[in-house]
Amino acid sequence: MNQAAIIPAHGADEQLLLKIDRREPVADGVVTLIMTSAGGGALPAWSPGAHIDLVLPNGVTRQYSLCGDPADRSRWRIGVLHAPASRGGSEYIHTQLRAGDALKASHPRNNFPLEPAGRYLFIAGGIGITPILPMLAQLSATNADWRLLYGGRSARSMAFVEEIARLAGGVVDICPEDENGLLDLDACLSGHEPGRLVYCCGPEPLIEAVEDRCRSWPAGALRKERFSPSERHAPLDPGEFDVELARSGQRVRVPADQSMLSALEDAGCTITNSCRAGICGTCLVKVLAGIPEHNDDILSDQQREAGEVVLPCVSRSRTATLVLDL
Amino acid sequence: MLDTKKVRGGNGLASIEAEVDEILQSVEEITHDATKSFFDKYSENPNQLVLASWLETRCWREIDYVFLLNEQIRRYGMRFQRNHITLLAKQSFQEAEHYEALGKAVESLGGIVPTSVPVAAVPWSNFLWECMERHHLAAIAAWYVSETSASGSFAPTYVGAERHGHMDVVKIYKQIEIDEKFHTGLGRQVLSTYAETDEDRDEILRAMRGMRDIAWKSFTPEVVAATMRAA
Repeated sequence: MNQAAIIPAHGADEQLLLKIDRREPVADGVVTLIMTSAGGGALPAWSPGAHIDLVLPNGVTRQYSLCGDPADRSRWRIGVLHAPASRGGSEYIHTQLRAGDALKASHPRNNFPLEPAGRYLFIAGGIGITPILPMLAQLSATNADWRLLYGGRSARSMAFVEEIARLAGGVVDICPEDENGLLDLDACLSGHEPGRLVYCCGPEPLIEAVEDRCRSWPAGALRKERFSPSERHAPLDPGEFDVELARSGQRVRVPADQSMLSALEDAGCTITNSCRAGICGTCLVKVLAGIPEHNDDILSDQQREAGEVVLPCVSRSRTATLVLDL
Repeated sequence: MLDTKKVRGGNGLASIEAEVDEILQSVEEITHDATKSFFDKYSENPNQLVLASWLETRCWREIDYVFLLNEQIRRYGMRFQRNHITLLAKQSFQEAEHYEALGKAVESLGGIVPTSVPVAAVPWSNFLWECMERHHLAAIAAWYVSETSASGSFAPTYVGAERHGHMDVVKIYKQIEIDEKFHTGLGRQVLSTYAETDEDRDEILRAMRGMRDIAWKSFTPEVVAATMRAA
């Protein structure tokens, strides 16, 4: 199979040249773009939850979730809401882009992967349905146990409803706010259910409401993807990062398949620890720079938000480098 | 210092959280006082065999936890998430390390490492195993209290043992103290994750109240003296 047209660069910065094959309205204020490789070859593989950086002809770069079929390497699909306060992303796509136009895009990255679980609850608000849609399709194909709670301002504004209705299995609650009010989160998030993963994507108030109800749950039980990650919360690609030891200046590379604690130990650091599972808090280390990705079960929400300490046994980094007081 | 009572889990203990925390606080305090009382008495006549006898019950607790945790996994493990099975097994491994380390300390003091339940540890051990028989969370609730009681003993143990030059004892308990934070955090997480019904919560409270009344007693100088007289 031919490969997609590539704009030479370095490693992960390598860009793909795409062409808009179709542009279709799918709900009030929502269009989909079907994109193919400008060179006609196969596009890179991706998995449900993945997104791409789209570089628009006006120079603006925006992130969009892929919402088509991962098995179809000939095309990618994204859904774009015309945001009222658009600063050149969705406004440009809705008013300027046409079939045949060329775009540049990054390789797909997935910070919101679908993990194995016994049961799933998906909570989508508005255009937040896009990363969840391919997850539902995958789970339906495997007869998995899933439920979707999908809210939007009105039925006309909610994209992909008919496509969701065609999926086999699962329980779907479509909740237009003008008919049913806000999503009944209390009913479906009344307690942590072992074996169930909750995925949430939508506007910030929805994510905060879901987070509020899941605060005491074990780390990892709630997976969420925000529409507009701020610079502070911008997630890195899953994978390696560097730790800088402030006292010696030494840099330690943490590979994707190794814990930070283990990498630091391999580099000669001695860090008191016990559980190596994010429960005891013994390996607590001060963070001097960078943004930790907390995966422990013991730091408070305030400590997580402050980002001043980290448990290297299970946690990682959202920034390329994490500077620790070691 | 992070508080393992705040570990994330489910909401299973929410309705009884106040009493759970009160039990933990009280058992920690009373064990602290009992340990201090022991070392105060020990200072009057620092006979190493007395310290060895005191450590023997501590030592037995470690190996009894090994038996108990493995039985917990065998009987009830399939009710738990796999990561909790791993963590319970990891705790069991650490308890075995503590038994080995404390055994060396007991021997260095001229004592005998227990291979059956010491008299002073019988009520404690019997209660733990009775809890195991009753309910899938009861033994965990009991050792959660027992492990927390040990937390109260660390500070006076360091002071008392250091005063008499028993630095090996101090070193061993420094490591045990680190691991106890994991064990108490795990206990809390397992209970809060799997407690679902009022019956579950009743059994948890029954086990915790019972262990609160037992756990500290073998730390007292009186129990050690009685044990030595019996020997």
